[in-house]
Amino acid sequence: MRTVSFLLRLLPILMFGLLLHYVLPQHDIVRVTSTEVIRTDFSNYNRIFYAQPDSGSAAQPTRDLRLINTQKQKTFLLGFIKRDASEVMVYRNEDTGWIWPPYFKFDSSDLQAEAAAAARTEGWYSITHYGWRIRWASIYPNAVAIRPVDGPNATIVPWFNIFFFVFLIVAIGTVRAMWFQFRERMVDPAMDRVGDQMDIVEARMDRRRSKMRRWWDSWKPKNKR
Amino acid sequence: MAFFKLIFFGLVGLSVIYLSLSVYSASLRREKLEKQYDADPVPGQTREAFVETGMIAYKSGLRPKLLVLVYVVPVAVFTAIIYVINTN
Repeated sequence: MRTVSFLLRLLPILMFGLLLHYVLPQHDIVRVTSTEVIRTDFSNYNRIFYAQPDSGSAAQPTRDLRLINTQKQKTFLLGFIKRDASEVMVYRNEDTGWIWPPYFKFDSSDLQAEAAAAARTEGWYSITHYGWRIRWASIYPNAVAIRPVDGPNATIVPWFNIFFFVFLIVAIGTVRAMWFQFRERMVDPAMDRVGDQMDIVEARMDRRRSKMRRWWDSWKPKNKR
Repeated sequence: MAFFKLIFFGLVGLSVIYLSLSVYSASLRREKLEKQYDADPVPGQTREAFVETGMIAYKSGLRPKLLVLVYVVPVAVFTAIIYVINTN
């Protein structure tokens, strides 16, 4: 039972962590090999893993999707530990517009042009992206920005994520403090008032009962009172 | 359309944060005033009167005005994100 309740408590934290892992920006060190456009028909499975058509265009059930094909340096632990190995990685390149996640990306065409220019060189680039590559559902991470870097071992400091987590910790602390203040100043005094009222009612009942008892006793013989 | 949805829900969310933060901040100040009076009662002034004068001074002070930053900062941050993401 204790294990079950522990797991139930762990579940929301795990879901929140997965959400953050999907939404927060990550950086990959890649060599861009080519760019392409494919026609995509979304299904109910993978629709939520895609954004909407280019900002300002009409939504259709089917549309073209920009892809960036790369050769990516493999890493362990979200990129903190570098490895001497590479794999292919394909990114989609879609506008997020004014909709979730709040990247406010409107420049997919420009990014595709930058990626195409990068594909003509042998240089190394850092691709900022969010999302996951899930092969069995044809889901791609969304590329957000591309920047040239010195080489395959370039280190990128995730400034945004640092600020984000500092902010998150401060926000959680503030909400906690607000909750305790609310309990102390609003809930506890109200509960005290309710408790006091209960005491008063109980005392009145006791008094009435003892009056009854005295009346009842008055019928008994004196030695049995 | 998506833009107006963002504006609407953003405004609602920020207003909730703003209202709860202002209630929290006022509650902190009230508690502080009460403790101040209990530690060192002012002769010729009741506890309630002392706290109320303190709260009036608090409301005209700087802190409630700083809470407007709840609206300003996210807008500034999002504007910065829009700029950084969409310039090459």
